[in-house]
Amino acid sequence: MVDALNRADRRALLEAGQETLALEAAFLDEQRWDEWLALFATDCEYWVPTWVAEERLADNHQSQLSQIYYSSRAGLEDRIARIRTGKSPASVPLRRTTHMVSNVVLLDGAPGQQMNLRSSWTSHVFDPNSKKIYVLFGYANHTLRHSASGWLIGRKKTIVQNDYLPTMVDVYCI
Amino acid sequence: MDLNSIKNYIDDRPADGVFRVHKDVYSDPQLFELEMKYIFERTWSFLGHESQLPKPHDWIATHIGRVPVLVARDGKGRVGAFLNACRHKGARLTRTEAGNRKFHVCPYHGWAYGSDGRNVDVKDKKEGRYTAAFDDDSHDLIPIARLSAYKGLLFGSLSADVPELTDFLGELRFFIDLAMEQGEHGMEFVPGRIEYAYDANWKLQLDNGTDAYHLTSTHTSFLDVMAKRAMGEGNQEARQFDWQKRFSQEGGDFQFANGHTCIWLNQAEVLKRPIYPGIDAIRQRVGPERADWMLKMRNMSVFPNMQIADSTSLLVRTFRPLAVDRTEMRYWCMAPVGEPPAQRAWRLRQFEDFFNVSGLATPDDTVTYETCQAGFAADSLDWLQGHCRGTSAVAPGPSELAKSLGFAPVASLQGGFSVQSETSFQPVYREWARLMQAGISGSKAYG
Repeated sequence: MVDALNRADRRALLEAGQETLALEAAFLDEQRWDEWLALFATDCEYWVPTWVAEERLADNHQSQLSQIYYSSRAGLEDRIARIRTGKSPASVPLRRTTHMVSNVVLLDGAPGQQMNLRSSWTSHVFDPNSKKIYVLFGYANHTLRHSASGWLIGRKKTIVQNDYLPTMVDVYCI
Repeated sequence: MDLNSIKNYIDDRPADGVFRVHKDVYSDPQLFELEMKYIFERTWSFLGHESQLPKPHDWIATHIGRVPVLVARDGKGRVGAFLNACRHKGARLTRTEAGNRKFHVCPYHGWAYGSDGRNVDVKDKKEGRYTAAFDDDSHDLIPIARLSAYKGLLFGSLSADVPELTDFLGELRFFIDLAMEQGEHGMEFVPGRIEYAYDANWKLQLDNGTDAYHLTSTHTSFLDVMAKRAMGEGNQEARQFDWQKRFSQEGGDFQFANGHTCIWLNQAEVLKRPIYPGIDAIRQRVGPERADWMLKMRNMSVFPNMQIADSTSLLVRTFRPLAVDRTEMRYWCMAPVGEPPAQRAWRLRQFEDFFNVSGLATPDDTVTYETCQAGFAADSLDWLQGHCRGTSAVAPGPSELAKSLGFAPVASLQGGFSVQSETSFQPVYREWARLMQAGISGSKAYG
């Protein structure tokens, strides 16, 4: 519970959380794939639920269809491997993105151990092939865990608010 | 090009071994408008699945072409389909895609309709000083001309001059059954909406669904990832197939009347199919031969704009024309009712791996449709050469295989994967030409 933490601990956690989320955005925007992957724990859960109705999100990835669901980092690694083949028409040339992450709220946490965050995000995407610009936006829940190599993403759930999607969306667009 | 000889947009000369489609078929806005009139408004269109309307007063809002349609189950359990437009000022009655309502009340002036489409209230009618002539018009929702179901799949037509649905689907029913009979208690759409739009013609998706030739060129990045998976690396939870094994498989095409078509390929790794754990019970129920066929890869197009693909999981999808160069895609993951939870999750992971606007394969297709549309801007590009591969291997009528299975296609082709035939497109464009010419000439669409 956030209320149980003292102010200094809360601030330290929130700062570390904001920095991790900002780094995640930076690595995606600069296509620094290895550093982006390294932010995720190998046993991370990565979930982008669908909407089951206009005003209701899916809440069960075992029984409802997802846009993306991985129960380990392997799924993300496969996507980066696919991009790196240079043979995916959808990924050549790569779209350019800028992610803005904001409204970061510390939901709860244990100093030096783990924290749960909620944040808002927008991603502006430019496709240098079609010259199209579009925006994807939504909010996200992250669970961060502290490790020897710093804070890692143990769980990320990304809600895409505008799920009437433009042609194709990959992990670096959201 | 002369619109009055619209059939000439398809250069179909079997005696000369020629089958070509003019690029204007995909890019001419005038042809697009004619397609709306002469195809979408004159034949059967897929509306949805009965599992989307399980209870009395359930409804879904969908389209036939660009026409908004409301499909509703009434209080007695009967399904009806209507133009989704209030009789008063034409407002669409629904603001979401699905729901349950005993009465549909228009948000504008409050006219109300029962779930059977009948008008139940004209707001403040008594005080309205209408003339007697007002009630000369029925105030009920306008039903669409025809509505029918086959194995749970709902189809509607804006024209009454269509064959019975079973005749329209014809011999393709053999393949529809192989999808719809996988569940002992029927099939259902898994919750979760996948909806996206691309900037290219709807028929590019229609073609792609039965296009074997593009796998080894469009999807090389996917195949590279699959090669890693076959070595035990990567996302094993997707239980993806070893796609290298495809290339040594036997397969073929079947062409059907009324524009339908189907391609198939043997599946080397049937153990990875989500229905496999229950295959013995399926064999008991449908027979061993049909159970084996349920494990094979089968992709079919139900003319004009629906596909059932059973490869990496079972999907139903529609590609709705919005403009000559804009199409709206909708995917559903279809699954047996009562599927055990572990198999359901397996099915979902396999589906998400390949399909979806965010999958590892489908996006490469979608982007490539836009690439085609960009090429079509070359005005002097005339006859495309992409609808004839495999033509010298097609035999009219049912092959021995089709005869043994008990269905009668219009034409059959069989061979190794490497044929990568394009003849699956030929019945589609023959029907396209027939319907377009009938419309232009002022003839009936059928008979």
